[in-house]
Amino acid sequence: MAKQIKVASEGLNFYYGEFKALDNITLEFEEHQVTALIGPSGCGKSTYLRCINRMNDLIPGTRVEGRLTLGNEDIYAPGLDVVALRRRIGMVFQKPNPFPKTIFENVAYGLRVNGVRDKQAIEQQVVESLRRAALWDEVKDRLHSSALGLSGGQQQRLCIARALAVEPEVVLMDEPASALDPIATQKIEDLIHELKKNFTIIIVTHSMQQAARVSDRTAFFYMGRLIEVDRTKTMFTQPKNKQTEDYITGRFG
Amino acid sequence: MEQRAHFHKKLEELKMQVLRMAALSEKAVYNSIKSYLEYNSDLAEDVIMGDIEINDLENAIDRFNLELLALDQPMAKDLRSIVGAMRITMNLERLGDEAVNLAHRALFLSTRPPLPYNQKMEQLTETSKKMLASALKSFVEEDVKLAEQVCAMDNEADELSLKILKQYINDMVTESRIVERGVHAIMAARHLERVGDLATNVAETVIFIVEGENVKHRCRG
Ligand SMILES: Nc1ncnc2c1ncn2[C@@H]1O[C@H](COP(=O)(O)OP(=O)(O)O)[C@@H](O)[C@H]1O
Ligand SMILES: [Mg+2]
Repeated sequence: MAKQIKVASEGLNFYYGEFKALDNITLEFEEHQVTALIGPSGCGKSTYLRCINRMNDLIPGTRVEGRLTLGNEDIYAPGLDVVALRRRIGMVFQKPNPFPKTIFENVAYGLRVNGVRDKQAIEQQVVESLRRAALWDEVKDRLHSSALGLSGGQQQRLCIARALAVEPEVVLMDEPASALDPIATQKIEDLIHELKKNFTIIIVTHSMQQAARVSDRTAFFYMGRLIEVDRTKTMFTQPKNKQTEDYITGRFG
Repeated sequence: MEQRAHFHKKLEELKMQVLRMAALSEKAVYNSIKSYLEYNSDLAEDVIMGDIEINDLENAIDRFNLELLALDQPMAKDLRSIVGAMRITMNLERLGDEAVNLAHRALFLSTRPPLPYNQKMEQLTETSKKMLASALKSFVEEDVKLAEQVCAMDNEADELSLKILKQYINDMVTESRIVERGVHAIMAARHLERVGDLATNVAETVIFIVEGENVKHRCRG
């Protein structure tokens, strides 16, 4: 079976004003795979992630060069519907950020924004998304109480359910477990293994062990550049580049 | 900035322990060869008694390796160094066993009249000592070239051992009174050849640690 490339960047440069934060990044993401982006703080992982669903558009004075594609479509094509793009490419952030609404409404939110009115369809999708986010059993009896009453780990899984509700093709995760305790982290990691059956996942993590545990491929960034990308198994046993080796063995960072 | 200074200190400590064990195994092999060539039963007994220390050290290093794997979750070369240390200590322990085996042959032969002189046997002792010394040096210095030379020498040891076998068979055919001694000498040659094999395993592991290439069962010509 030929591998399907879901997202690809080619010669991608990104600038915050004069500052070049990404330098010539060429990288492909296969469908139904988890790719981890690792590298020292400030190397451009989040910037790269935000390019993929055009979150950087919101920051004034920024500029993109090169090409980014979702399937065959150019993500930066003029006139592209950015809201529709973000429906296809969901995002989960470092800190869980549920809305101050009920659990149900948090998950239903994206559907309503996208114009779904059918009450039954919404209900079905909320349940399905909570199940996929491995949260259903814990919240099924209190769907209409406030999301803010959930624990941090539950809130993060709720945010994942919210991202999944609109049936995205790609899910971007920026250090999704860094604010969570070890048990909640484990739940998120297990969840990632499940989710890749249906979604393509790109995850930024500062934990090498986490990258090793959850991803199929790992890309190492350093100072705005892509230094090495390979199968995770190879990256963590036999990296080819000396900088990668030094970083993942903790000799710098 | 060094992020894992404490862990890397422990890795150095691991290497020191492996080197300590290597020194003991090498000494055992050297002394067993000396006891064999010189019919020295005291030295042979020393080798046999000394094996306990090698075994104990292997156990200690095993525990240390497990601890490092469980607590520090090493990666890349650090991971290979630990897996490599496990393989090397396993081979060092077997080297100790071969030294003991050879020492038993020496003990037996020390109670009998000498066998006809066999120049190839002396050559084999030199070859296996050299292979072992080079293998250990390649580990200390992470010298892949030297490790490859050890692998290349393995054939030489095998051929010598075969020639020794043939020669002792000839000797035994012409002189049946030496059969018992001859069999012990043939076994001794076999132990020396094993020393070469185990040294080759160590050398292959050095290549694995440094380059990540698994050359097991491949680098022998
Ligand atoms: N909004 C911004 N404005 C200006 N510079 C930024 C902004 N966000 C990030 N940067 C800079 O871009 C570089 C990459 O940052 P980031 O993508 O957040 O790195 P990472 O996620 O790998 O820690 C850093 O030098 C950072 O200071
Ligand atoms: Mg970041």
